[in-house]
Amino acid sequence: MIWQRKSAFLVKCILAMAATAVLGASGFAQQPTADAPLKVVVVKGLAGVKDNTKGTLVIGDGSMHFAHEGVKSDLATHSIEDVVTGDDTQRVIRGTVGTLSWFAPYGAGRFLALFRTKLDSVTIKYRDADGGLHGAIFTMPVGQAAVIKQDLLAQGAKTTVAEADPKSAPATPEPKEKP
Amino acid sequence: MRELRTISRSMICLAMMALSSACLIAQEKPNPAKIKASAIQVDMIHSDEIKLPAEFQVSLYEDLIRQLEKKSGLAHVYREGDRNAATAPNLVILRSNVTGFKEGSQRKREVTTVAGETEIKIHCVFSDKDGKTLLEADVTGKVRFFGGNLRATYDLAKATTKIVRENFSAST
Repeated sequence: MIWQRKSAFLVKCILAMAATAVLGASGFAQQPTADAPLKVVVVKGLAGVKDNTKGTLVIGDGSMHFAHEGVKSDLATHSIEDVVTGDDTQRVIRGTVGTLSWFAPYGAGRFLALFRTKLDSVTIKYRDADGGLHGAIFTMPVGQAAVIKQDLLAQGAKTTVAEADPKSAPATPEPKEKP
Repeated sequence: MRELRTISRSMICLAMMALSSACLIAQEKPNPAKIKASAIQVDMIHSDEIKLPAEFQVSLYEDLIRQLEKKSGLAHVYREGDRNAATAPNLVILRSNVTGFKEGSQRKREVTTVAGETEIKIHCVFSDKDGKTLLEADVTGKVRFFGGNLRATYDLAKATTKIVRENFSAST
């Protein structure tokens, strides 16, 4: 009897987590706003900023300004040699809770891994003061990559991919298995 | 009884001699001479035949530089185009070309464990300033179970750094 109650409780917990995941996924997509600071995640590559740092991005006055609490990074847009947009996905439930979910019974962790949110990504290549080539990858909610790219191009950045192709990651000859 | 002791002693002696000779042989095995280098310059990853998505290209480049700075043992790691590299003595230039790419799926990996592997293969050419090839190697980076697709670039960078550590030594 007690075991049945426990099982029922666990199933309810899993269903509640799944419902949260779905709601989170649907509410994640934000409408892009050109003026307001854009919320982005620096995946890697921005000088002076740790990997996977969340922060705000402001583009204007010939520079790209990233800020996160005490961490700030400014990049002159004319030093950006290439801006490429792409897309990606990530788990809705991630971090510590996501890791702990792997130990949930009845394969609940695997089940929760099915719920993913779509992301846009922007990849830039830029030169430092010594001429050294750098690369940086940002992710942001769906729909904002195009806005960022347009803003960067308007401020003097260059791109190797035409604006007409929004999801510009070059196609691979082999079939993709993207989630 | 005495005969048994003598035999056992002689056996132990023989075993010790065999061990010591094995150690000597192992010590005498010539280590391949390492190439002297004071600095390495990493060029952006090229993909002539296979088109690599920009995020993989940049991620691999950044991971390579980071791993080489941490673990290569060389004094300086320069980026492509860095003007300071021109004056570095014994500079080694690393050029990489993508020879294989299979973008898997993190979702598939997490749900099935066995499917959705991401794999990148590159051909590395280490050359000196004059363009003379010092070393060539094929390296593969994979992500099989945990982590996003970009983790394959980290695996690849670690493998490439290991090659550098094994074949190049910092010149004084």
